[in-house]
Amino acid sequence: MTLIVSLAIGVLFAAGSYLLLQHDFIKVVGGTILIAHSVNLFIMVSGLSRGTEPIYPLGDGARVSDPLVQAMVLTAIVISFGVTALLISLIYRVYVSHRSVDIEHLSDFEERLVQLEEQQVPPEPGIGVLEDREVDEDDESDQPDRDGIQRDERATE
Amino acid sequence: MLIVLGLGILWFSGVCAAILDGRRRWVGFASVAAILAAIAALVALGMNVRDEGPQTMTAGGWPSGVGIGLTADMLGVTFALLSLGVLLAALTFEVFNGVRSQSFPALVLLLGAGLTGVFLTADAFNFYVFFEIAMISSYILTGYGDEGRQLRSATIFVIVNLLGSAFFLMGIAALYHQTGRLDMAGIAARVALLNPTSVILSAVLIFTAFGIKLGIFPFHFWLPAVYTGTRPAVAAILSGAVANIGTYGLLRWGGGMLPDELHTAAPMFFALGVISILYGSLQALSRRSVAEVVAYSSIGQVGFILVALAIGGPAGFAAAVLFAIVNAVNKTLLFLSENLRGWLTGFAFAVGAFSVAGVPPAGGFLGKAGLFQVAAQDDNWIVIALVVVGSVLSFIYMFQIYQRRFWTPEVAESANAVASPVSVRAVVVVLAIITLLIGFWPEPVLWVSEQAGQSFATTRP
Repeated sequence: MTLIVSLAIGVLFAAGSYLLLQHDFIKVVGGTILIAHSVNLFIMVSGLSRGTEPIYPLGDGARVSDPLVQAMVLTAIVISFGVTALLISLIYRVYVSHRSVDIEHLSDFEERLVQLEEQQVPPEPGIGVLEDREVDEDDESDQPDRDGIQRDERATE
Repeated sequence: MLIVLGLGILWFSGVCAAILDGRRRWVGFASVAAILAAIAALVALGMNVRDEGPQTMTAGGWPSGVGIGLTADMLGVTFALLSLGVLLAALTFEVFNGVRSQSFPALVLLLGAGLTGVFLTADAFNFYVFFEIAMISSYILTGYGDEGRQLRSATIFVIVNLLGSAFFLMGIAALYHQTGRLDMAGIAARVALLNPTSVILSAVLIFTAFGIKLGIFPFHFWLPAVYTGTRPAVAAILSGAVANIGTYGLLRWGGGMLPDELHTAAPMFFALGVISILYGSLQALSRRSVAEVVAYSSIGQVGFILVALAIGGPAGFAAAVLFAIVNAVNKTLLFLSENLRGWLTGFAFAVGAFSVAGVPPAGGFLGKAGLFQVAAQDDNWIVIALVVVGSVLSFIYMFQIYQRRFWTPEVAESANAVASPVSVRAVVVVLAIITLLIGFWPEPVLWVSEQAGQSFATTRP
């Protein structure tokens, strides 16, 4: 049993790390989810024992299974769920303000922003990435984006 | 009871502030008052710890060993007070400056609750839970600002720290498997009986997690982008309060629970510390904007903490605590004053800059002197040389940005165009005075760090 679970943990963690190294933020989120699950399994296996259910009153000398790991795993699942939700909302905000979730696009955009700043030109929001596609929509899409960000902030509360 | 009081105030007021609109001034001032109340409770707790030794409390009236415990010793109380002080300064600054998001005060309060919990808990898994409460607040705070510019770095910050949390959780689970305990004292007692090689992997996982929090050399890549992209108050919170988790974690877990493993890892910590100092300083030298220089200098300053940890022993730990205190004050002062304009802000920034450089009247001198003293006692010439080189480099880059900011005519002219509000400048000036005070009257800080360094001297072989 331990071997099977260990293999599962290994496969999950490996797949998670592979996804974590991708360019696309959505894939990266998938990676963090897989890694979180491998950690949850790891916690389970750290207290894997055979026995009766640990409900009081216990029989004399009865072997009970470890209840603590389940409590820990439940907490860990809740936390990883919450953080994943937060991460996805953050990525949505990135998408709203940059129109891309590809990390290469985003770095290009920021480099251009830095260059603009060095030339003492005040940067305009969303000038970099949109240049390749729809420059016309730049000004129109600006205002709804701000609203989107604020709505999002309220949601994360 | 006092242990829960500070934590409870922050938690309760954080929840209350979350349903209110934080952009209103009175909500902001109420949050400041809540942090002040929590600081008062922690000071009272610290007095008790000083007079009667470490205080413990078990939640729910369970027998100790069954219930989840809270323990306050000098180390924990020091770090809790330090972090809350930074939060207080940053929140007051932002309230005077005008809060831009309705969740900001609530997030700062909840971050304070998480940090206080981390520093006062006696349970390994509860440490993780509080750690996540603090981190989640800081994830959202990182995205606080007007421009979309910091969002990419905020996302990277979250992803990197998620990986760190996963490592940390695995380390806890592995330690639980090996020791069968979750209370820190129990883990420490049983780890001492185990073969050190069997614990080394858990130790590596835990140390890596705290290294990511600190932003030391191989885990630093998110740091400059985040610190330069966010608003000054958030950068001050991240570098002054959240980074304390890393220092405290390495001290508590390394010094208190895994002393043999910390000893084994000392050469690696030393090497990483040296690389961080040199890398941070050289990068800071080559940068032009103030925010970037300060951000890279924090990588370098954290390197000094690692070097102090690698020296180890009560003296080394005391030097690490001392450096952490001074560094938190410096960074808060620098980040808050970097964009201010008007009378006396130049003074405040100069105090911060010279403090980082370690020029005597400012508090930063003390941290470097502490490290210097420890190294001189050991005849450790490499550390002495390193402290000198690091200080010289930090003096150069700090003087460079000071020169660029205040001595360049056109910058100075545009700087005088819009003066910042007096109240905002007052916060920064008070911080600068505190920094000077630490330098002129160092006894309290020295005493506190010495006591904190001895918190677990008994558990060391």
